[in-house]
Amino acid sequence: MVAPSARGSVGSFVGAVLSASLILLFVLPLVVLFLYVGWSGFVQEATNDGFLTSIRFTLLASGIAVGLGLLTGVPLGYVLARYRFRGRSFVESAVLLPVVIPHLVVGIALLLLFAPDGPVGRFMAGLGLPVFDAIWGVVLVMLYVGASYVVLASQLAFRAVDPEVVDTARSLGASPGEAFATVTLPQSARGIATGALLMWARGVSEIGGFLILAYAIEPSPPWFGPPTAPASVYIYDLYQSSGGLEAAAAASCVLVLVALAIFLAVRLVDRAGLYTPRGGWLS
Amino acid sequence: MAIVTGVTVRNLEVERGGFRLGPIDLAIEGGTAAILLGPSGAGKTTLLRAIAGFLGLREGSVEVDGVPVDREPPERRGFGFVPPSLGLFPHRRVARNVSYPLEIAGASDASAQARRWMERFDLVPLAHRYPHELSSGQQQRVAMARALAAHPRFLLWDEPLSALDVESRDVLLRLVRELIEREGLPLLLVTHDPTTALSLGSRLVVLDEGRVRFQGRPEELARGPLNRFTARFLGYENLYAPHELAAVSDLPLGAALARAAGPGGLVVPTEALRWSVERWVGDTSARVRSVRWSSAAWSIDLELGSLRLHVLGAHDAPSVRPGAVVGVGIDLGKVKPLEGSSGPAG
Repeated sequence: MVAPSARGSVGSFVGAVLSASLILLFVLPLVVLFLYVGWSGFVQEATNDGFLTSIRFTLLASGIAVGLGLLTGVPLGYVLARYRFRGRSFVESAVLLPVVIPHLVVGIALLLLFAPDGPVGRFMAGLGLPVFDAIWGVVLVMLYVGASYVVLASQLAFRAVDPEVVDTARSLGASPGEAFATVTLPQSARGIATGALLMWARGVSEIGGFLILAYAIEPSPPWFGPPTAPASVYIYDLYQSSGGLEAAAAASCVLVLVALAIFLAVRLVDRAGLYTPRGGWLS
Repeated sequence: MAIVTGVTVRNLEVERGGFRLGPIDLAIEGGTAAILLGPSGAGKTTLLRAIAGFLGLREGSVEVDGVPVDREPPERRGFGFVPPSLGLFPHRRVARNVSYPLEIAGASDASAQARRWMERFDLVPLAHRYPHELSSGQQQRVAMARALAAHPRFLLWDEPLSALDVESRDVLLRLVRELIEREGLPLLLVTHDPTTALSLGSRLVVLDEGRVRFQGRPEELARGPLNRFTARFLGYENLYAPHELAAVSDLPLGAALARAAGPGGLVVPTEALRWSVERWVGDTSARVRSVRWSSAAWSIDLELGSLRLHVLGAHDAPSVRPGAVVGVGIDLGKVKPLEGSSGPAG
């Protein structure tokens, strides 16, 4: 018979091996990617004007999408965290819908809704916000596939704020808006920022919806650069061209580094205690 | 702080998820504290939240110096509300917790005013700490300093001192007592702790099943009809439910107790109990279950059939040991029948 402690250590060992396998699966392909590309290949693609334009465009579109995601998702997360109402479960299911729908389907559905010759597409174009093969198409797809993360993360963050703390702020003279701004929001900021980061990452990594709705981007405000494509589409095009694996891999490395830089920036802001109980202007 | 002559609650009714509170009438004068007592689910917190403005009234009014405020939102009532969790802001240091109401009011000297309140509550050395870095007593002091920094007209304090050690509790009680007397502030306090209630409150309000069952001075509560909750609050230990008395009705003393009981049972105050190692002193024999030192005196638990009788008061070590048989008698003129309702305080 095996002693309980021995069984425990066998279990721990198996658990550790399984966990390590998953971590390896996450990290190893990226290591191989960087080794395959090498320094010279990386520099060549990192200085390629076409790709840098695509990166700039992607950052602009994803920034707008995250801004809109915060503007619409945070209030929805707050409502779901604080209120019970008829149709709440429908709203919660609707929020999860984009997570389960294949993203090519998202592209097709959005194309049908925003088709350039359809009423909605014409209306948007009339407002100076063309969707098909334009930056607003990319923003729409990013919003569709990523805003759920902002809603869910905000909902969790708001739910973690003790309502008695908010009530106390009211009794100390704060209006509902002041209590939200000075008590609820600072305590939820970290969760909301995590949702925004996930949304951004999801938007930048999207490709299916772009292939249908916004494959080749024509300049239109607020994108005043040359014609380009979202970074993921750009890399896919490189890969599809003959012998394009090397160029696609090099461009992928650049994109991974941009994503890591943004991730680290958010972590540094978090560590500096901008919105956490470790210092900074909110404390 | 504005001097308030009194807060009056008139005919207040609240309906919430099937629970109905009221009608409640209360009057609390400036500089005095009213203590709200009652078992769990009696409606104490609901009443406090309704007065503070967090729950809509079905009926009735809340008045400060005769002026109704029940249509005002919580932030305009000027009522300092300290919930059981204290409601400290976890993302703000102590200094900025205390200065919060002053910042919201737009006070140009918010920091200086907050510092004065921190000095009063001995919080200056803790000014740069976060609430989670404080002890329970320190957190209580921050909550109280912050509530008072808002210059409230009325203080509502829910279960304030339950987590404190005796010394911290006494220090805070003394501070609060001085402040409400000096500032003429009315205070409504929910507590289960008799020490807190009796040291702060000149007036007790017993709430049960959403209604006020008693309002008056503590000694009036002791003189009036008791139920299980008020008897426990007043410190009685020998409380017996009717079924417990029925179980000993085959003993002569047990039968007499059952006859003296009310619908909620009976209290046997320690002064109604006589016992002696000389068996002749009592009508009945009882067995000594335990002998222990507690509350600065020896206490003895006796078993009378299935009833447990608690006897206090021997300052010298008693001459009996567990298992000994002693004589016990009960002065039936001093036992107190209990009214129905009111479960144990939660």
